[in-house]
Amino acid sequence: MTFTDFVAVSTGNLWRMKLRTFLTVSGVVIAIAAFVSMLSFGAGNQQYITKQFEELGLLTTMQVYPKTNSDKTDSVKAAVLDKSAIGKLSLIPGVNLAYSYEAISVIAKLGDSTISAKAQTLPEAVLRTKLFSRILAGKPFSSDTTRQVLVNEDLVKSWGFKEPDSLVGRSIVISVKVTSLDSGLAHVLKDKGETIRDRLKRISFDSLWYREYRSRIINNELNGAAQRFVNGFLNCREEISDTLTICGVIEKRESHQLKTGSIIIPQATAARFTTGFSGDPTELLAAINSGTIFSGNRNTANKNYPMVTLDLDPRAMHKTVRDSVEALGFRAFSFAEQFDEIRKFFVYFDLALGLIGLIALTTASLGIVNTMVMSILERKREIGVLKSLGADEREIRFLFLAESGMIGVLGSLFGITFGWLITRIASVVAKMVMAKQGIPATELFAIPIWLILIALVIGVGVSLLAGFYPASRAAHIDPIEALRNE
Amino acid sequence: MGRRNSISPIDSAYLETHDLCRYFRRGGYEVRALDGVNLGVRRGEFVVIVGSSGCGKSTLLGILGGLDTPTTGTVEMESRSLYTLSRRELAAYRARQIGMVFQSFNLISHYTALQNVETALLFNGTPRRERRARATAVLDQLGLSDRITHRPADLSGGEQQRVAMARAIVKNPAILLADEPTGNLDHDNAVQTIALLAQLNRQGITVVMVTHNLELARQHATRIIRMDYGHIVGSDTSSPASREIS
Repeated sequence: MTFTDFVAVSTGNLWRMKLRTFLTVSGVVIAIAAFVSMLSFGAGNQQYITKQFEELGLLTTMQVYPKTNSDKTDSVKAAVLDKSAIGKLSLIPGVNLAYSYEAISVIAKLGDSTISAKAQTLPEAVLRTKLFSRILAGKPFSSDTTRQVLVNEDLVKSWGFKEPDSLVGRSIVISVKVTSLDSGLAHVLKDKGETIRDRLKRISFDSLWYREYRSRIINNELNGAAQRFVNGFLNCREEISDTLTICGVIEKRESHQLKTGSIIIPQATAARFTTGFSGDPTELLAAINSGTIFSGNRNTANKNYPMVTLDLDPRAMHKTVRDSVEALGFRAFSFAEQFDEIRKFFVYFDLALGLIGLIALTTASLGIVNTMVMSILERKREIGVLKSLGADEREIRFLFLAESGMIGVLGSLFGITFGWLITRIASVVAKMVMAKQGIPATELFAIPIWLILIALVIGVGVSLLAGFYPASRAAHIDPIEALRNE
Repeated sequence: MGRRNSISPIDSAYLETHDLCRYFRRGGYEVRALDGVNLGVRRGEFVVIVGSSGCGKSTLLGILGGLDTPTTGTVEMESRSLYTLSRRELAAYRARQIGMVFQSFNLISHYTALQNVETALLFNGTPRRERRARATAVLDQLGLSDRITHRPADLSGGEQQRVAMARAIVKNPAILLADEPTGNLDHDNAVQTIALLAQLNRQGITVVMVTHNLELARQHATRIIRMDYGHIVGSDTSSPASREIS
């Protein structure tokens, strides 16, 4: 018998038992539909995350941090993340660009509307990387010294505009309150109207002969001086303002580990805003730690950065780059490597969903076994006739396997279609719920080619497996017994 | 299984059995369906096997057709034992050399007459188009050209048996084994069926037929073999056909 003969004969037999075939195939359809729709959810989420990573350019981005105290136990000595480090990082093979993350708290005023925002300073070259490539309106600033800024889409809404285009070309006033050691030191001597003379008046000089009194006075004075310094440092700040033009609106990009400011200012233009301290106590502590507190202009080579971003060549091996970064004494975070972890998670997630689908398929396979066994009992004489006509055991087995395989093919094809239909309905419902809750509509389901192929292979495979026992039973039917007159 | 119970294998026998035994266990007892049968069938013979019910006629036919296996003894086709053949070779033997006709016709009920006849060519490598042409030709030859699309339930007993005969001969078998082919037919149809078998025999097909209808068979048989309790108890070559041959 040829393959066509097997298909023709088994199709004829299935067609003859329409209702039974329909019910058995329905079992497989439901199981495959459940399998497809569940895995489609996993695939949809995976596809969404992959798209996010690709669109954000995260797969070609690596972030570098100074080592933390726990990292410092490594054999490689911790290094300072400063301008010279950026130079070294940019020389690592596979690194296109290395730039620091500098954020400053600013007050942005547009017309009468004033908002507090986080501004980020960036070299112009960075705007050509994928991470900052999504300009919604206008264009990126043209140089590091231009008096232009980019704002992100959040500010469009904050300032009450509907379209990003409306902001392009408008002037905004950027104000930064900076402080310096001078204002802190000035308050060491005088604070809240109390002068050094007032404090001296409170000291009983006769008691200074006593050691405890003397120690207490000195401690009080030192604590007081420190408090007055911090008070002066934090509260007596100078305001620096500049009027800049919005040249474009950029898409908001945020994810775990990824920080971008609402306002992006060219690096050289932002220099005057970053003179002195921003008033953030941690910045002061960092300066004390690094020994740069008295270095005057803080925009120098000595300035330490909390983070440096590396824009990588798409062909670069992330592990190699990371090893090079770590060899320089830094900590590296690779989005691509994190993405690999996410992919691993999705493999387990898909396996779990697939397993649930397989349970449904196992139930359907019992239906196939039942149908085939019933069919064999009814066609026992027919099997005897076929054997008397020259069919061997292999051909009888294939004949019945072809029938269960056909059930699998039909069940899988209709199941995939039905599963697709379920995901479309679920997707529409999910998008409606998201819209109601103000969440941007996201496609939660996807049916990629691999899922279709897996569903087809599993559907047909399980059906063939289910047909194996009945087919073997049919193959071993004794023709003499089957043909015996009743 | 002494020589008393056997007919000596004929010289240059086409199909022959040697000390063929077939035992079954039924209800704890051993049933000896065949007990030392030695039989030789020459090419072109029309052998009729007669005997009472349960004497082992059908069992012998099943073994000759390669459907059943003897407990002991051998069957040889042109001096080659069937039991040296693999299962696939034995199936090929059934597919190419043997045509079988049964008392209850054993047509596949959901197939048309044409499909039933075509089925016989499924297992001997006949191409699909040729299958249809040959099946149609044989049905036409047996006067069933207007019945090819009918299912067995729509045919008379005689027509069903002719379809079964068409199915048996469509592959041009060397031997036709007929197990009580007239058992379910009225007299006229029985006469026609035997006549058809005789005609096929004249065309060169060796026929081995089991029957109770000795009167009808006697006219065409070249040899009549009597069986009783699994033994061959006699052989008669005095029939008209036999005399014609001799």
